[in-house]
Amino acid sequence: MLFTAASSASIRDPDSIPQSSRDSFAKPQHPLPIPIPLQLLLPHPKLSLGCPILSRLLAGGLPVGTITEISGESASGKSQLCLQLILSSLLPPYLGGLGASSLLILPSLLPSSSLLRRLSLLPSPLHISPLDHIFVASAQSPEHLMMLLYQADRLFEKSPGKMPVRLVVVDSIAAIFRSEFENNLGDLKSRTGMFFRVAAKLKDQARKFGAVVVVTNQVVDVMGPEVAGDGGNNHHIGPVLWSSGRMVAPAMGLSWANCINTRIFLSRSDEVAAMGVNGGEAIVRTKRTMEVVFAPHVPRSSCEFVIRKDGVFGLELER
Amino acid sequence: MEISNLPISPSLRSKLLAKGYTNLSSLSPLSPSILAQELSIQCEEAIEILRAIPHATTSKNAYTPHGIIPGAVTAWDMLSEEQMQRHISTGCNDLDTILGGGIHCKEVTEVGGVPGIGKTQLGIQLAVNVQIPVEYGGLGGKAVYIVDTEGSFMAERAYQIAEGCISDILDIFPSNSREFLSCKERLRANNFLDGIFYFRICSYTEQIAVINYLENFLTQNKDVKLVIIDSVTFHFRQDFDDLAQRTRVLGGLSLRLMKLSKTFNLAVVLLNQVTTKFTDGSFQLTLALGDSWSHSCTNRIILHWNGNERCAYIEKSPSLPSASAPYLVTGKGIRGINSNFKRARTMPS
Repeated sequence: MLFTAASSASIRDPDSIPQSSRDSFAKPQHPLPIPIPLQLLLPHPKLSLGCPILSRLLAGGLPVGTITEISGESASGKSQLCLQLILSSLLPPYLGGLGASSLLILPSLLPSSSLLRRLSLLPSPLHISPLDHIFVASAQSPEHLMMLLYQADRLFEKSPGKMPVRLVVVDSIAAIFRSEFENNLGDLKSRTGMFFRVAAKLKDQARKFGAVVVVTNQVVDVMGPEVAGDGGNNHHIGPVLWSSGRMVAPAMGLSWANCINTRIFLSRSDEVAAMGVNGGEAIVRTKRTMEVVFAPHVPRSSCEFVIRKDGVFGLELER
Repeated sequence: MEISNLPISPSLRSKLLAKGYTNLSSLSPLSPSILAQELSIQCEEAIEILRAIPHATTSKNAYTPHGIIPGAVTAWDMLSEEQMQRHISTGCNDLDTILGGGIHCKEVTEVGGVPGIGKTQLGIQLAVNVQIPVEYGGLGGKAVYIVDTEGSFMAERAYQIAEGCISDILDIFPSNSREFLSCKERLRANNFLDGIFYFRICSYTEQIAVINYLENFLTQNKDVKLVIIDSVTFHFRQDFDDLAQRTRVLGGLSLRLMKLSKTFNLAVVLLNQVTTKFTDGSFQLTLALGDSWSHSCTNRIILHWNGNERCAYIEKSPSLPSASAPYLVTGKGIRGINSNFKRARTMPS
């Protein structure tokens, strides 16, 4: 809390911007920019998803230094996947992990206890107690989130634990943003500005510290083009996503989508697996799908998965 | 143009030649006083020499009687030069066709689209395709790739696309042909990666600094034929509260880029985000950074979804009709719908 004022002043101060831009046009203040040899950037380190099939869908996992969004309706497995990522990050790099602890930011601390209890039930790799390596914080508002992220710089630089912090999970970013803003033009504009600031900070940290940033997001229902006519602009944004028989899109719209690198969409639909025997109840199976909507390194693709007591696992379907 | 053709007195001419000035271009940046000192002549004489230069430059085009203003060229010259130019292929035949052969040098092209549509993929593809050796119908140039905070550029992906490009070249040109042997060495994915000068920037101040520095960099690396800025938008959308200020800074930026593209005969490709704009009672997608920015690029291409199909649409071009073409993003990079369709489907994910 101590350095809140200083940090928010430095990002907000509009007077400092015009001056510096004018200077930089006249003479660059920085040392000469040097191109980075691309071969040094190969192979790109990634965080495994904790299941070989799911990891393969992402060509190894979530790329370090980028922001990944996991979106889906409630009970689609978002949190479960996040927990698995947290566990996976504890593993050493040669096992697909980051050898690192994680920072978990939640909209409020209350539901986290159940989340963390679930985590403690998961089989832990390497006999590390995962709860010792998670830093939990709650963010009530976008400003609060921003402040936490600035404070997290110190956590990245020097972790209080044995392992450095290299994974940031922001749980339900929409919940953090939703409460604050009215649906008018001015507020929407400042909301967009806040998206960019939060995303820029997250990406800056991801890149500077070699971290993976995961953000979970809710979905909103989409009115189909046949309903809304030409005005339904969402169908421009991409092929429609379906979950539970509804047409949905990740919340927070286009400007947020501009801020992320990878979008993963989890969907579920209940389907009748087998008719009930002699008039009994039909057995309903939940079919879950994980879809890579876009990613910098893999084409759009999808795969079915199941949630078991011991984690999230991809299914290999014979075609 | 040689010094020997300069309409000046023979004594001055011999003095110039004695000092090693053989070419007019070596003379033009000099001021009269420096020249006078150098040749140990009167200042007036130096002025006389320098005055003679622009006059002489126009008579360079002696075969075309239109050279009235220094440096002017006729439309005919421009046309024939343009027809000589090779273009950078996008990898998708349909898109190349509507673009008149591909991305043009000496022009600034802006590409925009929704997240995930393949802007960065197109950028990487162009950075790879610009390096296709001349023997294989490419430009044999190099690329500068400037990535900001938003850009999703990954070296790994560039490597894949380079490999895809190489395997397509080898499909078209059988490996036993003579051409292949002559540039076998160059056709390696690693060499393609080395041909991409990758700059990373974290703020718009750095963005401006890099673009200012480019002139220097390009003078030293004359074989660069393509400059890609992966998202001009990100920092300009977040850091500015004063829109008038932003417009001025962006205006300066686009002028510089235009100048670079003309001076160094290279293509500049800017990737931009889209935003929604409220017109005629409904929200329409449009490229970010506003109306005044929209004048700063020669061409604008919008990538959009048409149902489940990716489409590229030419929104603005001085020479091409508006048209749209479908394209695919495959494991190998940007490809057309028809060509390589089968292979595209079976790419491992």
